[in-house]
Amino acid sequence: MTFKETRAQFRAKKVSAKELVQDSFKNINKHEELNIFISKFEDDAIAHAEHIDNNFSDFKDLPIGGIPIAHKDIFCTKGKKTTCASKMLESFVPPYDSTVTRNCYEAGSIMIGKTNMDEFAMGSSNETSFFGPVKNPWQKSLVPGGSSGGSAACIAAGITSISTGTDTGGSIRQPAALCGITGLKPTYGLISRWGMIAFCSSMDQAGPFAKDAFGCSALLDAMSSFDTKDSTCTKRQDKNFEASLVNDFGKLRIGVIKGIEDFGISESVLKAYENTKDVLQQMGHSFHELDFSELSSGICSYYVIAPAECSSNLSRFDGVKYGHRAKAENINDLYLISRSEGFGEEVQKRILIGTYVLSAGFYDAYYRKAQRVRRMIKSKFDKFFESVDLVFLPTTLDQAFKMNRESSDPNKMYKEDLLTIPANLAGLPAISFPNGFSNNLPIGAQFIGNYFTEDLILNTTNKFQEVTDWHKMTPS
Amino acid sequence: MDKIELKNLLFLARLGANEKDYLELIKKLENTLQLIDQMNEVDLEKFEPLNNPLELSNVSRADKENDRNAKRDFLDNSPRSDEDYFIVPKIVE
Repeated sequence: MTFKETRAQFRAKKVSAKELVQDSFKNINKHEELNIFISKFEDDAIAHAEHIDNNFSDFKDLPIGGIPIAHKDIFCTKGKKTTCASKMLESFVPPYDSTVTRNCYEAGSIMIGKTNMDEFAMGSSNETSFFGPVKNPWQKSLVPGGSSGGSAACIAAGITSISTGTDTGGSIRQPAALCGITGLKPTYGLISRWGMIAFCSSMDQAGPFAKDAFGCSALLDAMSSFDTKDSTCTKRQDKNFEASLVNDFGKLRIGVIKGIEDFGISESVLKAYENTKDVLQQMGHSFHELDFSELSSGICSYYVIAPAECSSNLSRFDGVKYGHRAKAENINDLYLISRSEGFGEEVQKRILIGTYVLSAGFYDAYYRKAQRVRRMIKSKFDKFFESVDLVFLPTTLDQAFKMNRESSDPNKMYKEDLLTIPANLAGLPAISFPNGFSNNLPIGAQFIGNYFTEDLILNTTNKFQEVTDWHKMTPS
Repeated sequence: MDKIELKNLLFLARLGANEKDYLELIKKLENTLQLIDQMNEVDLEKFEPLNNPLELSNVSRADKENDRNAKRDFLDNSPRSDEDYFIVPKIVE
């Protein structure tokens, strides 16, 4: 069932919150081998559902009232283990809730568990998790994408109708594309980062997953709020994203990147992209070519800035205040051995790259230059949005790939983020939605919008989903 | 990058690696740096560095006492603490 159907049935009392939770756990057990969850809270979820059923009138009109939800294990949950898929935080129990999980709780949802992910959100395949990789529900030998792979697979496998993720370089949109679902990275600053374990603070942004734009809208309504606890959280005029789905934004001017076929995109993804353009044209929208030949430099900039901020953010894990602590005779060894034992290979590599680009003598050559590229990418988009309403492009270069691909070419995994990274560098909102199938595997495409135009992005995706069926496909 | 540079880098990052793995690690880091170096192909002189996409100014709050004293919670999360202190190996001889 989609989120819309699930909520309608709950509101009509055709199904109770408890039955929905029980159904989720049936599906969790059925799909145990996909390794989607790091923690599950069956007893608590049932008790919470019973409370909701007993107080139905208090919850029935809330945006996600009575609906089971899965949270990426990057969001702190009071009294419940939050690991970030790392040995470093294997037994960390936060003393407070993240604003995202708190908002979702207050909006009436029932947390059934915390989902698997790439360690500290560093990865595009979910293979860097300390708790083992997540498998793609469409084909178990393939990756679900990352870093929010568990949350995306959770929707594709039909365990919950909504889940949360975070997107620093594509970590919501890429797994959404590879799992055949819809995922939105909002404008930087729309959703509070309080209690969301930091990777790259100037790009990290939480966002919703669902099968379709409708579910994402309702969950976004629940997740977003102004929060004084996050100084980058923006005070803005409150929008109701679900209500704005029925708005008429008229015929849109959609930007497409000139020569996109030369960026190494697979045939199947390109074909789906062209077919979607036809559908959008039939809906009355027009296309305008944009010159974005510098697109590839976004990856270079990202792989300087993200590791730089990561090396700084992860310096807090020292074996003293919380997290893994090694046995050591002196303080230097305590830091060094705790961190070497606690962090996985990819995280250590990114800390080293970050430390390198920030070290004396290299700062201007790497970090400063990467920030200039970031400005260039942002300026490009500012210019684009003078003449178009949305930018349309594929989400990924190819479809879901086999596990263990990284070992043959480490940079291939980084290049995977080519089409998602620009929105993170510029802080723009972007959605990935299913737009085709090939070899029985889903394909995704994305709309990037101007700042705080989530209502337009969701509305346009919703209208596309009213005339197409790609988002309705489910793995057998 | 040579072994001495890597050793220094590992120390700065407070990470350890077995010396026999140094060459492989250098190869991995250089591989990523090669990818990054492609940004030298772009003319960037006219672009000022950008720290944050929204170019926000600092937000300050009133210096008011609140009831969020979580000292005990945080100390309890430490792998080793004693009363009001985090315990670490002896630092001063």
